[in-house]
Amino acid sequence: MSPNNPQVNRFSLAERVTHWLVALSFLYAALTGLALWSPRLYWLATMFGGGTTVRGWHPWGGVAFAAFFAVMFRRWRRQMALDGDDRRWLRLAHRYAVHEEAGLPEAGRFNAGQKALFWMQGTALLLLVASGVVLWWPEAMPRALRLAAVLLHPVVAVVSIAGLIVHIYMGTAAVPEAFRGMIQGWVRPGWAASHHPKWYREVRGR
Amino acid sequence: MSAPVKSVSASAGNGPAPGATRAVHTVAKLIDTSTCIGCKACEVACQEWNDQPFTIGAFEGTYQTLPDLAPNFWNLIKFREREENGNLAWLMAKYQCMHCVDPGCLRACPAPGAIVQYGNGIVDFNSENCIGCGYCMTGCPFDVPKLDQKTKKVHKCTLCSDRVSVGLEPACIKACPTNCLSFGTREDLLAKADARVAALQADGRKGAGIYNPSGVGGTHVVYILAHAGYPENYGLPRDPTIPWTVALWKGPLKWIGNMVLLGGILGTFFHYVRYGPRRYKDVSE
Repeated sequence: MSPNNPQVNRFSLAERVTHWLVALSFLYAALTGLALWSPRLYWLATMFGGGTTVRGWHPWGGVAFAAFFAVMFRRWRRQMALDGDDRRWLRLAHRYAVHEEAGLPEAGRFNAGQKALFWMQGTALLLLVASGVVLWWPEAMPRALRLAAVLLHPVVAVVSIAGLIVHIYMGTAAVPEAFRGMIQGWVRPGWAASHHPKWYREVRGR
Repeated sequence: MSAPVKSVSASAGNGPAPGATRAVHTVAKLIDTSTCIGCKACEVACQEWNDQPFTIGAFEGTYQTLPDLAPNFWNLIKFREREENGNLAWLMAKYQCMHCVDPGCLRACPAPGAIVQYGNGIVDFNSENCIGCGYCMTGCPFDVPKLDQKTKKVHKCTLCSDRVSVGLEPACIKACPTNCLSFGTREDLLAKADARVAALQADGRKGAGIYNPSGVGGTHVVYILAHAGYPENYGLPRDPTIPWTVALWKGPLKWIGNMVLLGGILGTFFHYVRYGPRRYKDVSE
């Protein structure tokens, strides 16, 4: 950051590439999954190469998602640990949602909402992979497992996609300039000071 | 087959309204196990008519051709040996798709048009629409559909829908030498079954009865069993129903899930409309 070029580095190239690999594989798995979720969304299957292709490739999308998420998990899991401030923040999240932020604990590099999403999607991923493996090879699986998987997989997927919808909204329209942080990797100092004050003080102090 | 259709898998709209298509009699196959001699003519006829290559399995010390149905073997006589009052009871029952009135396979199927239930009650798989996911295998309480590993399509008995559509009886029925198998309207055959059960009971078979399980709304393949209280002795499930997880997944969960997803999209949109983006004051350093 220099006076003439007031940029704060938000995410490194490696972080951005990892995030977008996770995002693209998740999006692929979600859209092909939705094609099989409802007949009203079967046109998504057509868009992705037909029902047979979707059935064959959706599981691989899931494998890719799991692999990329594992890389992201290794990188961020410590930074994503929730501390006391974060727990207080989560209790007051309804105030954050309506822009009444007096009394809200300051956020670090990730705010408590981002951290909660990280752990939520990680848990969802574990359940999706476990049930997904059962659905991948139904002919080789015990009936009881298949009966559990046909229910668990869509339930977890819906919760996970709902989380994704909120995440996309927060990262684009709701928080202007956040998107540039994840694409070009930098944010303005004012943005950092306002959204992630604890983190901003840390970076500025360096 | 251009017969009237009752329901189609993964169809976004409703089926045809009552009266929209010509009313047809529903058909049924009646299997009178008390006259089955285990000759396997039905198995051979099924393979022949459907032009299926036979895959030889391992000999397992039983007369039964294969341990279970297979993607290219849709009609299997199950041979069961039991001791009954010190005597051997050799039970034989032909096993195949039951053509349920409320088919679990059709409910579970995500591929539009892959499973069709015709107006006459036949439940048929259309390979060109099948995506090979195998959900039908999970939805079926009789464990009938089998996934072909090479073609990645699921297959089962069609009740010879091709033959029935041109007024012929299914191949297995045509081949049966003892009249253990009969084909006709479901109404007629249920009446015939009642008469046969009464005759068996008069003959001393007090436990004789009909297997037409109500848990799947009844079936278009109906059995007469000498021991109707013990269908599992014939390799038939006792109380087959559509599994509750499948019913929940394809029923209420679909609505709840759609509400959650739509709620997420509309909720975030209207949050923006009401509260707008989170702004900040620029700091000059």
